[in-house]
Amino acid sequence: MQGFPGGAPDPQQLQATMLAIEQACSLIQVHMNPSEAEKVISSLHSSLMPYQACRFILETSHVPNARFQAAGAIGDAAVREWGILSDDNKRSLIAYCLNYVMEHASSPEGYVQAKVSAVAARLLKRGWVDFPDQEKSAIFFEVEHSIRGIHGPNRQFAAINFVEALVSEFSPATASAMGLPKEFHEQCEWTLEVKFMKDFYCWAQAAVFNAADSILSGNASIDEEKACSAAFRLMFQILSWSFKYNVEHANSETKIDSGLRSDAINLKKFERSLVKPGSMWSDILISSGHTTWVLNFYTTARQKYSYDPLWFDSPIAASCRQLIVQLCSLAGSVFPNDSGDAHINHLMHILSAVVLWIEPPDVIASSIRNGASESEFLDGCHALLSIASFTTSLLFDNLLKSIRHYGTINLLSALTSEAVKSFVDNQNEEETWGSDALDISLEIWNVILGDFDADKSPMSVDGAIAASNLFKIIVESHLKAAADSAFEDTDDAEYFHVSVSKRDEQLALYAQIARSAADTTIPFLAQLFSERFARLSQTNGENDPTQTLEELYWLLLITSHVLTDSGEGETLLIPEALQAGFPNVVEVAQHPVVTLSWSIINFSRQCLDPGIRARYFSPRLMEAVIWFLARWVATYLVPLDVSRGQVSRAEIDNVDKHGFQHSRKVLNSFAWENNQGELVLDFVVLISMVALTTYQGENELQTLICQKLLATVVRRKHTCTFIVQLDSWRDLTRAFASGRSLFSLSGRLQRSLAETLACAASCIKDPEASVQYLKDLMGPVAGCLVENASRSDLKSVAQKADVVFMVCCLLERLRGAARATQPRTQKVLFEMGHTVMNSLLTLLEVYKNQSAVIYMILKFVVDFVDGQAVFLDSNETSVLVNFCLRLLQIYSSHNIGKVMLSLSSSLRNELQAEKYKDLRALLRLLTNICSKDLVGFLSDSSIEGSQDIAEVIYVGLDIVTPLISLDLLKYPKLSRDYFALVSHLLEVYPEKVANLNNDAFARIIGSLEFGLCNQDSDVVERCLTAVNALASYHFKERLGGRGGLSSQLMESEGSNGTLQESISSHFLRLMLQLLLFEDFRMELAGSAADALLPLLLCEHGLYQGLVQELLEKQQNPTVKSRLAMAFHNLTNSNNLSSLLDRPNRQRFRKNLRAFLGDISGFMQIK
Amino acid sequence: MSDSEEHHFESKADAGASKTYPQQAGTIRKNGYVVIKNRPCKVVEVSTSKTGKHGHAKCHFVAIDIFNGKKLEDIVPSSHNCDVPHVNRTEYQLIDISEDGFVSLLTENGNTKDDLKLPTDDSLLGQIKAGFAEGKDLVVTVMSAMGEEQICALKDVGPK
Repeated sequence: MQGFPGGAPDPQQLQATMLAIEQACSLIQVHMNPSEAEKVISSLHSSLMPYQACRFILETSHVPNARFQAAGAIGDAAVREWGILSDDNKRSLIAYCLNYVMEHASSPEGYVQAKVSAVAARLLKRGWVDFPDQEKSAIFFEVEHSIRGIHGPNRQFAAINFVEALVSEFSPATASAMGLPKEFHEQCEWTLEVKFMKDFYCWAQAAVFNAADSILSGNASIDEEKACSAAFRLMFQILSWSFKYNVEHANSETKIDSGLRSDAINLKKFERSLVKPGSMWSDILISSGHTTWVLNFYTTARQKYSYDPLWFDSPIAASCRQLIVQLCSLAGSVFPNDSGDAHINHLMHILSAVVLWIEPPDVIASSIRNGASESEFLDGCHALLSIASFTTSLLFDNLLKSIRHYGTINLLSALTSEAVKSFVDNQNEEETWGSDALDISLEIWNVILGDFDADKSPMSVDGAIAASNLFKIIVESHLKAAADSAFEDTDDAEYFHVSVSKRDEQLALYAQIARSAADTTIPFLAQLFSERFARLSQTNGENDPTQTLEELYWLLLITSHVLTDSGEGETLLIPEALQAGFPNVVEVAQHPVVTLSWSIINFSRQCLDPGIRARYFSPRLMEAVIWFLARWVATYLVPLDVSRGQVSRAEIDNVDKHGFQHSRKVLNSFAWENNQGELVLDFVVLISMVALTTYQGENELQTLICQKLLATVVRRKHTCTFIVQLDSWRDLTRAFASGRSLFSLSGRLQRSLAETLACAASCIKDPEASVQYLKDLMGPVAGCLVENASRSDLKSVAQKADVVFMVCCLLERLRGAARATQPRTQKVLFEMGHTVMNSLLTLLEVYKNQSAVIYMILKFVVDFVDGQAVFLDSNETSVLVNFCLRLLQIYSSHNIGKVMLSLSSSLRNELQAEKYKDLRALLRLLTNICSKDLVGFLSDSSIEGSQDIAEVIYVGLDIVTPLISLDLLKYPKLSRDYFALVSHLLEVYPEKVANLNNDAFARIIGSLEFGLCNQDSDVVERCLTAVNALASYHFKERLGGRGGLSSQLMESEGSNGTLQESISSHFLRLMLQLLLFEDFRMELAGSAADALLPLLLCEHGLYQGLVQELLEKQQNPTVKSRLAMAFHNLTNSNNLSSLLDRPNRQRFRKNLRAFLGDISGFMQIK
Repeated sequence: MSDSEEHHFESKADAGASKTYPQQAGTIRKNGYVVIKNRPCKVVEVSTSKTGKHGHAKCHFVAIDIFNGKKLEDIVPSSHNCDVPHVNRTEYQLIDISEDGFVSLLTENGNTKDDLKLPTDDSLLGQIKAGFAEGKDLVVTVMSAMGEEQICALKDVGPK
């Protein structure tokens, strides 16, 4: 072949190379000495001008793997040697690859062909900008002919394959690296999209069109079918391209009226991006009837092949369906600007074909259960989801009405019930078609019901009936499953938690369906409850109630979801659908939500009776009751003023809808009427007490009490003010402060209980009463710790397991209280902490070998300092700081130089893990002490105090840094804490750093360098802050005529051996490297600018030198001039001065952002 | 007993009489100690499950014998008590290592304690012997529980 690169081949050498490669390939396949074999292969990839050898292998080798490697080597070598290849060489390489693919189109090793195609595509892209247009046209002329089927189906397939490879090579996400700037890739992407993409699509269309007749008549050969499905795949791939260079219509009002949605829907579980190819594509996709043709083709084919169950999974059927689903997502200006008619027509067409895939759902579901393929059904669900995301619920429902006597929602309801049934039947298996179909169909409901214009287009009557029927089926199937599974053992806790969050997500979606037909579904739930309550009260210890209990468990969960939102971290409102759902109810006693709520609460009340409790309040049922109560209280005990305010405002808005407003009012106020609210709160406290004391060892249940139920009532001011006045609450706090019963809780729960109880203090209106409450609560705890720590026989009893347990409990309680620090309670809690300080030091000494106790002491101090830091005056600060100092000294004296010995490697690892946790706690403590608030408060008082702080931090750092290695810094949590501390430290006390000894200094600088290259942008940001602080300090010192950091730093760098330079020049180099050559994240630009500015100001000379050096290295003159311009603008635009004040920093931030934007196109290389 | 006295440590003067203490299984955490098959162990994994959905919780412990490093497992209803060993750690100055593998330790009251053998594991042995041979001032920590003793840590306290 003319122009093929490489000299005249030496046959023997070629033969030898081929043998070597073949041998290496076969060795890799049997996995013998793979590293050696890889070396042989990679030597081919990296050798000079390997083209003749590769060609020889491609043409003569019988080992397909060797041919595969040879093709890859051509690609790698050509991209590498592109500069030294002549134009002829390049052309002939591409032509060779293409010819090879065409000539060997019938070869059975598809992957070799695909690789050669990909290489051709890669090289074509590499030369895309250089090649003149006619050359490209010549190549594509051949390709087009082949795709149109002129050279037979094998070549057709090969050509389609080549275009597929080309499209994926040009798409930024799948492009291969070429060592070229981003702008090159963008340019290629642009020309392909604008000049070629549509042609490719037309060719594929033609290929399918030509093959259609023979496929539909059943005469098609296997090769023809293969080519046809490849063409479908190519069309799908082209429609998945992210089109960028198109013009959209302005959003018109008429379109919204037509029922199309204008909002972008975020689907939770499924990736769905809109396909917006723009108006240029209108003719081939829309006006030519292309969609209709594809739909007809599929419909005819599926009829023709309906006798063959395997056909539905055949490549041609699957790829055609894929294309149809993708066509559903067409949007934007590809449709004419005609108020949405064309778009709606398009959706309707698709729906009328797709409906055959999913209807009737029960028949299809049963045939799938009997072994038929489910893929068509699932694709149909996907299409439905796409359609739903474009339409309002009204339009969605109406789409089907033109061809059926019912709406789409009806069909969806039937479809979902089949999915639920199948899901429930196979709950223990993973990834069944039922769960897939259920996920999709619930997502469709979510899209329809979550429509934000729901007020304008409420659900139709049929729709509501369909939803209500569906909910009944959902509940019945799940109740049956619950009863059937009641005797199974529960799973392991960890797995359990994962499945719980998935279950909650599903229940929330069910609940949305229930709410859309609240007037029927809520009474339905009430009826189910009362049946089961009755059944329970009839069992007199004879029948096993377990099945009923499990049904109740599930009912409580679903009812909680229906009546309340989960509202993580938000103020909960009564769900709008429930407020608006009962316009005709005027009597409180008849409101279904009210009756349902009270019936459940009254049932739960029975658990206070010991006999009934023993009979059927199992731990699991209690969990559901507690969970329900927590959500109910948070939602329905509406703050009185809020509920009144809301109603009155609403009344002004809608005077005419009186009844409607009345039912809203009922719902917002019923819970407080007739003292019910107080009774419920009293019950909350009583049930908590019962659950904490009589359900021994039920950690799940007790966690719900402490962290969910009690935390919920205390967190809300209006419920908390009520609850602290209750006698039952007083009993609870007394039991906690001085009884034994609550010591049976696990440590973690002691902590959260203490936190909750202490939090409640801030809701006691009278300040003195509030102080007294806290003293009564925590005084005995602190007192007990002090008293026992000062016992004379402490040493002899301290190590006993019961004593260790007790000390841990007390420490957990103190820590819980410390976490509840609030402005009103801070003083009391500081006193509490103050009284135990000496005891803590004693315990630190006594328990130096009990790592669990040590860790708890550290954690208490961490939380204590964290809570108190912002409030303290200078005296209190110095008390606290002195305490921390002694704590650190004692800890360090025990731990420096200690080696743990253990036979068991896992025990040794555990010990390491404990040390690591201690270390993190210490870092936290230092950071908390160092926090700026504390320093800020001190600056106006005596200087002594602030010296103390600096000393504590340096003692701490002295303990901590020798224990932290760069290896340990790879653990994200530790490294975050460490860098948070270091950046704090350098910001607040840069002058102290200057006085550090060389070792300590080198450690800090080394860790900063490490941190700057970290993946975690948080860490990088902190390091940038630290560099900024260091450089700013250095600059200011030098401005003031002092040495700054220079003396210190020359030495420490000298040991490096490479360069004698100051720390500022060192970081300047590093920063430029980072900004110019690494994949720098724009969100860090601000902090990078802050760090770079003082460095520039300090080392102006060096900076100029570095810039000069960089420019000289650039070969390309345009790049060179653009880079020079960018550098010039960086330091000269926006009137940048040589000061470090705020306005100047702002200006530099702006400059750096512009600079990074400028250079990112040509400096970042792929 | 009055209310305020209830938090006091329960241990009576006859410290050391019992080797274990009962504690509710539900409160034993990872890294805590527990007796399994009459051996003192450190818990490395706790998981809970229920007997039938509406039954009571059980704790499943995976623990490692603190002396011989063997792995043991146990399942206990979480409201029942487990035995928790008293694990004591005492520090002694290391005075001498004898030929036959026994160490000589200096107790707090000035006596020597000579009944403890060096660990059998080579690497641990190496660490102690090397440190001692270099003339460092070594303090060893001896862990004792349920009548057994073993050296568990080593610290270099000098020379200053």
